[in-house]
Amino acid sequence: MTRREWIAMISAAPSLQVLHGAEAPVAPVSIAKCATYDEDVTGKLGALFDQLGGLEKLVRNKTVTVKVNMTGAPGQRFQGMALGLTHYTHPKVVGSTAYLLGRAGAKRIRFVESAWATAGPLEDVILDSGWNLRALQSAAPGVEFENTNGLGKSKKYARFKFPGTAYLYPEYVMNQAYEDTDVFVSLAKLKNHADCGVTLSLKNCFGCVPASIYGDDAGLDDPNEKPTKGRSDVVHFAKRQPARIAPPELHPNEGLKNAGYRVSRVVADLSVVRPIHLAIIDGVESTAGGEGPWIRGVRVVKPGVLIAGLNPVCTDAVSTAVMGYNPRATRGTPPFRNADNTLLLAEAHGTGAADLKRIDVRGVSIEQALYRYDV
Amino acid sequence: MWMRAGRWVAAMSFVPFLCLAAPSPSSWVPVRWPYADTRSLELLAGTPINCLLFQSPTPELVAAARARGVVALAVIAPDGVAGELDRALAAKVDGIVLEGEFPEGTMRRIAAKNEAISIIELTSRNRLPLGSTAPVLGTYQGVWPGITVDEEGARKSGPTSSVWIDTNTGFLRAVRAWGNATVWIANRPPAKTAVATTRYLQVIADAGISGARWVVALDDDLAARLAAREEAAVGAWKRIAGLLAYFENHPEWRAMPEGGQLAVVQDPEKGGLLSGGILDMIAVKHTPVRPIPRQQLSAEMLAGATMAVNVDAAALTPEQKEILRTFTRGGGTLLTGPPGWKDPTAAAGSITLEKAELERLNDIWRDVNSMIGRRNMGVRLFNVSSMLSNYLAAPGGKAAIVHLVNYSDYPVENVAMHYLGEFKHATLITPGEADKTLEVYKTEEGWGVDVDRVGICATVKLEQ
Repeated sequence: MTRREWIAMISAAPSLQVLHGAEAPVAPVSIAKCATYDEDVTGKLGALFDQLGGLEKLVRNKTVTVKVNMTGAPGQRFQGMALGLTHYTHPKVVGSTAYLLGRAGAKRIRFVESAWATAGPLEDVILDSGWNLRALQSAAPGVEFENTNGLGKSKKYARFKFPGTAYLYPEYVMNQAYEDTDVFVSLAKLKNHADCGVTLSLKNCFGCVPASIYGDDAGLDDPNEKPTKGRSDVVHFAKRQPARIAPPELHPNEGLKNAGYRVSRVVADLSVVRPIHLAIIDGVESTAGGEGPWIRGVRVVKPGVLIAGLNPVCTDAVSTAVMGYNPRATRGTPPFRNADNTLLLAEAHGTGAADLKRIDVRGVSIEQALYRYDV
Repeated sequence: MWMRAGRWVAAMSFVPFLCLAAPSPSSWVPVRWPYADTRSLELLAGTPINCLLFQSPTPELVAAARARGVVALAVIAPDGVAGELDRALAAKVDGIVLEGEFPEGTMRRIAAKNEAISIIELTSRNRLPLGSTAPVLGTYQGVWPGITVDEEGARKSGPTSSVWIDTNTGFLRAVRAWGNATVWIANRPPAKTAVATTRYLQVIADAGISGARWVVALDDDLAARLAAREEAAVGAWKRIAGLLAYFENHPEWRAMPEGGQLAVVQDPEKGGLLSGGILDMIAVKHTPVRPIPRQQLSAEMLAGATMAVNVDAAALTPEQKEILRTFTRGGGTLLTGPPGWKDPTAAAGSITLEKAELERLNDIWRDVNSMIGRRNMGVRLFNVSSMLSNYLAAPGGKAAIVHLVNYSDYPVENVAMHYLGEFKHATLITPGEADKTLEVYKTEEGWGVDVDRVGICATVKLEQ
């Protein structure tokens, strides 16, 4: 199958019958080729943002919170490679984003992540990840960091009640940083996910959920502000409910008890309660076959692309297509072999459209950027 | 052990060294020489290597080595004492290396009959004559350093997702803490393996950062290719020699004791002789640690420490227990092993912990980990998961160094180092590169420097 035939195929694929499929909002998505991190990442990102209408009207005099992707412990590396070359957002993309946000007039730029198995300062995790903390701090005025795996620097958690019927939890309780912001950016990696198929700007925000409340060692009643584990028991496998500070799930006896069902739904819920205003996907170098080196069979890939959009579902749909998949594929079809399609779940919530026919792709075309993750 | 050490000291005191012009054993840079031809010695040109271990030395080879100022030693195996020794003596070697498990008194008997030669023992770890004044303590037992790989080729991760690194550093530090002897670790490359150059560099550095020397031993493949002067093999040899020179050019590093605020009180004759024990566990966490031999425990040895781990509480004398009580009364934090725990004794042929012992040691490790947390105990390093480090502090506190060794296949970029102490000047010393002044910046805990890139190893020198 040629690239043209493939594009024609995925564009003509029948849409899943979902509630809001045709009405879900759309926004343009831009793609740029960037073969290595030694290229002018700042210039290429700047061009992407310009193609989207510019950052200034979005961030001037605003507090901007940027959720980066630092999946897994910084000590876990694929064959000893730098984390940014495999499964973490690359620090050059992070630094360039900070610079461009600052140049566009952002008042405060707060980088956030729920770091693996710790609620310690995010600055420590950043240093352990090989990012140059001082360079990042000086990339723009007002750069801050917050580890959202617990309370962090705040005194209380923020509550994000789902407006309507959520898939899993009626309310998500998270770090204050996710509420105390004007603009929310998901700065993700172009990766497969072993359970959910792909992990892009939507799935990146699964990391907003604090292990202090939703972690395996969360307290039964109160949060555990020194979490040392992940969130498998609560979110992935429903072995227990979150700490009682957060409400339990709506239908504990329904649905599959695996990540492909549950994590996909939590991610879709989060796209509603914590809307993403700007999605940025680092696809310069990454991993295929899984989200991190702990997944058997994961391998390094070099798609050489940067993607940005103002709607996370649209951005992820384009990104999924760039990875060589049909963004409307359903359970059992690559890449959603064992999962429900997060994009379609988010689309059904009305977050955005995953229909490529409705999305205005700017810069490089999907066809030109195509890099097949399944070989 | 003490009897054996005493006899060894007595024997050595009768052994004058043959050639006064030759370097002293403490400055020997040893290599197992796989060649028998004199032309092979051309490879030594421009290297710091000054001591060759021959399997079957000929008079011509010994003479040629000596002409280059290189010490020639003959390796004698336990089953070859008679014949091999006679042939070595006939070849007029400078000394012999007794490698393996010899009956008690063998060295003394040989020394008595051959007063003109040096004798080095490469014995099992549990027979090392600790506490002796021998200029060289040697063992043939060592782990092959590197990141542990499981059956499927994936890196093993512990419960905290830290990479585990096989290393001899804990053992070497424990031995070195006992006295000032130069330590040789003479383990050979894995059998039937063509060892990558980086792995040679890692094993050299693994010993070098602990003040010891690895007795260089080439695998058969590299030895053959080097004999043929294959370009890649010669390149590998130059890199090996270059890294040896890196450590030999800084003899002052070898004289510096471990620094930091964490002390581990341990019997080097027991758990200290093992790899994978508490010292290695702490090393993987990149916390500077000062091993204190239980037999030498004193208030002076604990000076400057704020935390101490007493691995084998039951082994302490009442006086030693009182020293630790005084330490805690003075504000120090003391962690002791679980009740009933005894530091395991190294068995002959075994240099790592048995599974059951390892599981019990994990209990101590969890407590140590909890006690240390993310505190800065002298130096705190970031982005060093594939690395080991050693913090050495010059007496008087005016200078210190931090050695870094990278065990991965890739260079590590952006290492950050936060340290305590008023060191306002920092220099990065890297093999084969010019020294570089590092920018020193203030941190919450003290000061910090950034190291852009570490290939195999690097050393940060800190000065006031």
